Amino acid sequence: MNALATGSRPVLRVSRRRLVDLVGHAYVWLVLIVFVLPFLTLLVYSFTGPGGSYAVENFQYVLGSFGDNLSWSFRVSAVTLVINLAVALPAAYAIVRYPFPGKGLLYSLMTLPLYVPGAVIGISLVLVYNFTYHLTTSVWGLVFAMAMGTFPLMLTPIVVALKDLPVAFEEAAECLGATRWQTFWRVVFPLIGPGVSAGLMLCFVIVFNEYLVTLFVHPPSVTTAPLRVFNLVRTAGLAPTTAALAVTMQLISFAAILLFFRVFGTRYLKGTYLI
Amino acid sequence: MSTVRLDRVSKHFGSTVAVDDFDIEVADGEFLTLLGPSGCGKTTTLRMIAGLVEPSGGRILFDDQDVTWLPPRRRNIGFVFQTPALFPHLSVADNVAFGLSVKGQKKVAIAERVEEMLSMVGLAGYGGRLPNQLSGGQQQRVALARVLATDPRVLLFDEPLSALDKNLRDTLKYSILALQRRTGKTAVYVTHDQSEAFAISDRIVVMNNGRIEQIGTQTDIYLHPATSYVAEFIGANNGLRGTITGRDGEGDDARWLIEASGRTIRGADRPGLVVGQTVVAYIRPEDIEIVDDTAPERFANVIEGTIDRVIFEGPIAQVRVDVDGRELRVDVSGNERLTLMRRDGRVRLGFDEVTVIPAPA
Repeated sequence: MNALATGSRPVLRVSRRRLVDLVGHAYVWLVLIVFVLPFLTLLVYSFTGPGGSYAVENFQYVLGSFGDNLSWSFRVSAVTLVINLAVALPAAYAIVRYPFPGKGLLYSLMTLPLYVPGAVIGISLVLVYNFTYHLTTSVWGLVFAMAMGTFPLMLTPIVVALKDLPVAFEEAAECLGATRWQTFWRVVFPLIGPGVSAGLMLCFVIVFNEYLVTLFVHPPSVTTAPLRVFNLVRTAGLAPTTAALAVTMQLISFAAILLFFRVFGTRYLKGTYLI
Repeated sequence: MSTVRLDRVSKHFGSTVAVDDFDIEVADGEFLTLLGPSGCGKTTTLRMIAGLVEPSGGRILFDDQDVTWLPPRRRNIGFVFQTPALFPHLSVADNVAFGLSVKGQKKVAIAERVEEMLSMVGLAGYGGRLPNQLSGGQQQRVALARVLATDPRVLLFDEPLSALDKNLRDTLKYSILALQRRTGKTAVYVTHDQSEAFAISDRIVVMNNGRIEQIGTQTDIYLHPATSYVAEFIGANNGLRGTITGRDGEGDDARWLIEASGRTIRGADRPGLVVGQTVVAYIRPEDIEIVDDTAPERFANVIEGTIDRVIFEGPIAQVRVDVDGRELRVDVSGNERLTLMRRDGRVRLGFDEVTVIPAPA
């Protein structure tokens, strides 16, 4: 009797578990479809030629006329990353390693652009450029706007990585005779590498795809790729060639993220170098 | 190699005094240990010698050079941390080479020195590995090789063994001592572990609340603790509070007579006590013997008590004996510890007069 009773139970349990499994899988797939479907639609549309035929030529258009726009996006992104890194490294080090009055306030101010709507940043920069810096016709105005908007994305991962890094490494280096400069470049920088690369990746993806602030501050001679897509949609409607440019941009962003995880994903954990 | 002198060094963190008026002179080639509980200021003192903490007052001298305001990199010290703090992104060889490479030495000379240092700590051939491929003990030995490679004037150790397991601690502490002897370097070692301090030091500084309680050799501290704090810290856990009622004998035979809960105990002589003073007579657990009724006259002091419980710890058995409501701990070793397990009831405890240490209460 006893054996029978306990024997019948697992059957019930297994079937219930299978039901839960089924529902769980269905849910995950549903979510995936909801997220991926728009991109798939875009992808299919980008291959559509006149009269519903299949057209790879749309992508040749990307390399031709859009090449200039993509090149601007890359150049603006690269310069922005360099500026952000050059400011964020010393800033993060000061914030984490030194006590000074107003530290909390300073850190909050530095991360403020994260919480300010793009349109607000755009308008304020237009005003500032017009009346103070006279940058309205220079690409540097655009670069500065991008740097300002994405600076917190560079700063925060570096701050987190530094907080995770025990001070003992720096102290050991100093006791061994290293100068502060040597200590930073030989010990600290390699060990906060994951934070730095996370910051670079985040900034790249945002700057490369940014269009709202760009709309406000770009000089007339400079049209970045996202801005071109926006302009095309506005003037020519949703053409398959526009979709091709959008797909190309999407792929570049994907590639940046894949590259990041490929290079760092398995070797770094929690901001500290573990190998 | 050089002497280290701390001249009235103090350190305040806000209103807390971490180290207070600290005076010490470490001789050339001496192995000095700062011993005390956590928060006693021993690590702060060590970090001030290294230059990792700036003193609030006083001076620090290496030989005759005032290093008080020099940064660590200008002091030429070797600091071994609680964690090995090996640079995880560099190989073992590159870790050992670090101190030489930042000073811009030639690659060939560095490689030679690295090999020499690694074989000195018994890790020849490990140069190509990464730190996390080594055990904790091996990592700490690489840390030793790393500081020795730069030929420092002074070796500083901040509880380097506390993160390791017991067996490893025992072997590594003698390795540290052997390396210090071989290189002849002045060493300052910080620990909270009395047996570690006793095993490797030339002199020990017992610290409490940022102050020096006593400086001396192992036997000085063990046999003649200067204060009741020192007595308790180094393991004389049995304290009998009483009053000095008299003095007996002359010279080496002089003894204090202490009356504690109705019985008179004969204790070792020590200066600075007067008749009528309230004292605590400390007796170490290992100095008390359980005496059978046969030969109690072997001991000048014999008291009676009741066994509360016996705790068998392996090499020793700990016997808790209730003496008029006060618990005394007796450590029994040898064969006797095995038979004790079945004992209970009344016992007689005997201890020598010189093992009783009176300290001002």
